[in-house]
Amino acid sequence: MNASRSILAFLLATSFSTVVTAADVVKIAITGPFSGGSAPMGVSMRDGAKLAISQINQNGGINVGGKKMKIELIERDDEGKNDRGALVAQEISSMGDISAVIGTVNTGIAVMGDKYYVEKGIVKIITPAAGSASMTQWSKAGTKDLPIFRFASHDGIQAQMVVEKALKLGFTNVAIVHDATNYGVSGRDDLIEQINRQRGKLKVVSVEKFAIGDKDMTGQLMKAKSAGAQAILIWGIGPELAAVAAGKEKLGFKVPMIGGWTLSMSNFIDTAGAAGNGALMPQTFIEDESIARAKPFIQAYHKAYGVTRIPSPVSAAQGYDAALLLAEAIHEAGSTTPSKIKFSLENLKVTVKGAIADWKKPWSTWNPSNVESHEAFRRATTVMGKVQNGRVVLADPSEKFVLAGTTAK
Amino acid sequence: MDATYIALAQMAVGGGLMGMAYALVAYGFQLTYAAGKAVNFGQGELVMLGAFAGISLAGTGLPYWVSVLGAMVAGAALGWLVERVAVRLALKQHNEGWILLTIIVGLFALSSVENIWGREDRAFPAPWPTGALDIFGISVTWPELAIAAGALGIMTLVELAKRYTMAGIAVQAVSADPEAAELCGVRSRSAISLSWAVSGAAAAFAGTVLGPVTTVGPTMAAALTLKAFSVAVVAGLDSGFGLLIAGIALGAAENLSGYVLGSGWREAPGLILLILALAIRPQGVFGKKIIRKV
Repeated sequence: MNASRSILAFLLATSFSTVVTAADVVKIAITGPFSGGSAPMGVSMRDGAKLAISQINQNGGINVGGKKMKIELIERDDEGKNDRGALVAQEISSMGDISAVIGTVNTGIAVMGDKYYVEKGIVKIITPAAGSASMTQWSKAGTKDLPIFRFASHDGIQAQMVVEKALKLGFTNVAIVHDATNYGVSGRDDLIEQINRQRGKLKVVSVEKFAIGDKDMTGQLMKAKSAGAQAILIWGIGPELAAVAAGKEKLGFKVPMIGGWTLSMSNFIDTAGAAGNGALMPQTFIEDESIARAKPFIQAYHKAYGVTRIPSPVSAAQGYDAALLLAEAIHEAGSTTPSKIKFSLENLKVTVKGAIADWKKPWSTWNPSNVESHEAFRRATTVMGKVQNGRVVLADPSEKFVLAGTTAK
Repeated sequence: MDATYIALAQMAVGGGLMGMAYALVAYGFQLTYAAGKAVNFGQGELVMLGAFAGISLAGTGLPYWVSVLGAMVAGAALGWLVERVAVRLALKQHNEGWILLTIIVGLFALSSVENIWGREDRAFPAPWPTGALDIFGISVTWPELAIAAGALGIMTLVELAKRYTMAGIAVQAVSADPEAAELCGVRSRSAISLSWAVSGAAAAFAGTVLGPVTTVGPTMAAALTLKAFSVAVVAGLDSGFGLLIAGIALGAAENLSGYVLGSGWREAPGLILLILALAIRPQGVFGKKIIRKV
C-alpha cells in the first residue's frame, strides 16, 4: 500500500500548495477575439490590459488589505463567435477563484455569455464592446444586482455623434448600411432612434445590410446611390467596412462613411487603403503623442509590443484604463471577493489617472431604470476621429482639449 | 438607359467576372477528373494556400508576377501531393475513399494555415491601377478584369498544351483509355500526376488573382469548392467552354438575386442550379452522354 499512500501524500501536498498560491494572487480573466475579423480590437484590448497589469505586478502587485498580491491572468480567445464566447464565459464562471473579467469585443458574445457571470456574481468590465444590447439586456430584464460594468463609449452615444456629424456636414439624405450581427442591427436601431429625434432634419433614403464575410457590397451601395444618399452611416467591423469602401470606389460613389468606432480598426484602414481616407468615427482615444496624457501609454505600448502603430488604439487604451480601475477597486475592496469588488467599482473613492482621462467615480450603484449607472463614458468624453493616410487623427483638431484634459464626469 | 437596368447590368457584370474564378477552379476539377476519374474536394483550400504562398513571396519583396509564378509552383507541388497521399491508394482499391481523403487533406491545410499565418484577413498587394473603368455606365475594376483575363489565359494555355505537346497528348490518351494508353507506352500514373499538378497550379493562380479582390484569409475559399463544383456539374465535366458559361451565369445569378431579393439570398441560385442540373441533365448542360458498351 506504499504506492497509494505516497499518491495520497502527493495529492495532499499539491492541494495545499494550490491553496497557498491561490491566496497570494488575484486571478483576473481577459477574454476577447484574439483571432478573426475582430482580432485588432481583441488583441489591442488584451495587450493594453496586460501592460497595466505588468506595471502593477512590477510594483509588487495590488495592496489588498495590507498584503501585496500579484495579478495572475487567464486568457481566453472567443474568436468573435457567439457560441464560443458563451462556452468561454461558462468555463471562467465555473473556475471558482476568478475575481473579475475584463473583455468582450463582440456584442453578441456579451448577450450570449454574460448571464453566466451574473449567475455567479462575477465582476466583469466589458471593453471595448459598444453595442447597446450588452447593457440594455439587463435594464430591460430589470436585473436588481448587476456585476457587469461597461468601459466603452456605447452605441447610444456613438449613434448620436454620427447623426450630429452628418447634420453638421450639411447632409439631409443618408443611407444606413449595417452588418447582420447583433452589433450591426443594434447600431442600426440606435441610428434610426437618433435620426427620429432630429425631427425630420435627416432622411433615411435606404437601409441595407450585409453579412460577415461578404466581399462585394456593390448591390447595397448602388441602391444607396440611386436613392440619392449624401453620406453612408455605417455599423460593421473592419473587413466588411473595407469591402464597402472598395465598393464605393468602384462605383465612383464619393460620399463620406460616418459610422461606429470600428472604422478605426487596422484591418479596415489597411485593407481599404486610400479608399478609406476621410471615414469618420467616434473615438475615446487617439494615438497622438502630442497629447501629454496619452504619450506615456503610447510609448510603453509601442515598446512592449515592438510596434509603431497600435492595431486598435481605442481598445488598447480602454483595456489599459479598465485594468487600472479594476486594480484600484480590488485595493479599495481589500478583498478578492467579487461582490466586494463590485461594491468598490460602484463607489470608487480615488481618482484613477488613465491614458484616456482622470476617472473620478466612473460608475455608480446599478439602477435598472438608468443604464448609464454602469456606463463609464459620456458624450463629452468622446471625440470624432478621421482616417487619414493609414492612421486615425482628430477630425476636428480643436477637440484636442477633450482628450488632453478631461476629468470624466 | 433606365437606372434600374444599369444597376442590374452592373450586378450581372460584376458577378459574371467573379464567376470566371469559379470556372477556373472548376477547370481544375475537370482536369483531374478527365485523367484520373477523381476530383479534389479540397480545391478551395488549394486556392487559399496559393494566395498565402503568393502574399508571403510578395512580402519578401519579390515582384507580383514572380510571386504569382512561385505560388503556381507551390500549387502544382501540393496538387501532386494530394494525388499521391489521398487519391492514388483509394482508386487502386476501387473505393470512393478519395472523396473523404481530399476533404481531410483540405481541412488539414486549413488548420496549418491558421497556425502559420493566423486567422486574419489581409490585403493582397497587386500592381493594378486603383479606381474603376466606366464601360457604358458600368464600373469594372482592374482586379476584376485580372480575374477574367487570368482565367481565360490559364484555360487557353492548358487547352493548347493538351493538344500540341507530347505530355498533353499523353494525358488525353490516358483519359480516353488508360489501358490502351499504357499499351502504347504512356505511363498513366505520370499522366495522372501531371494533371493533378496542373490542376493545383490553376487553383493557386486563382488564389493570386482573387486575393486582391476578396482579401486573403484562411476562409477566403470556404464556399468556393462548392460553387466551383456546382459549376463543374452544371456544365458537365468535359467541356472547358461550358465551364466558362456556367461560371459566368452562376456569378451573375448570385449577384442579381442578392440585389433583387436581398443579400441573404445570394447563395440560393447556385444550389437551385445544381439541383436542376442533377435532375434534368445529370451529364451536364454541355456534357456528352456517356454510352457504356456492355
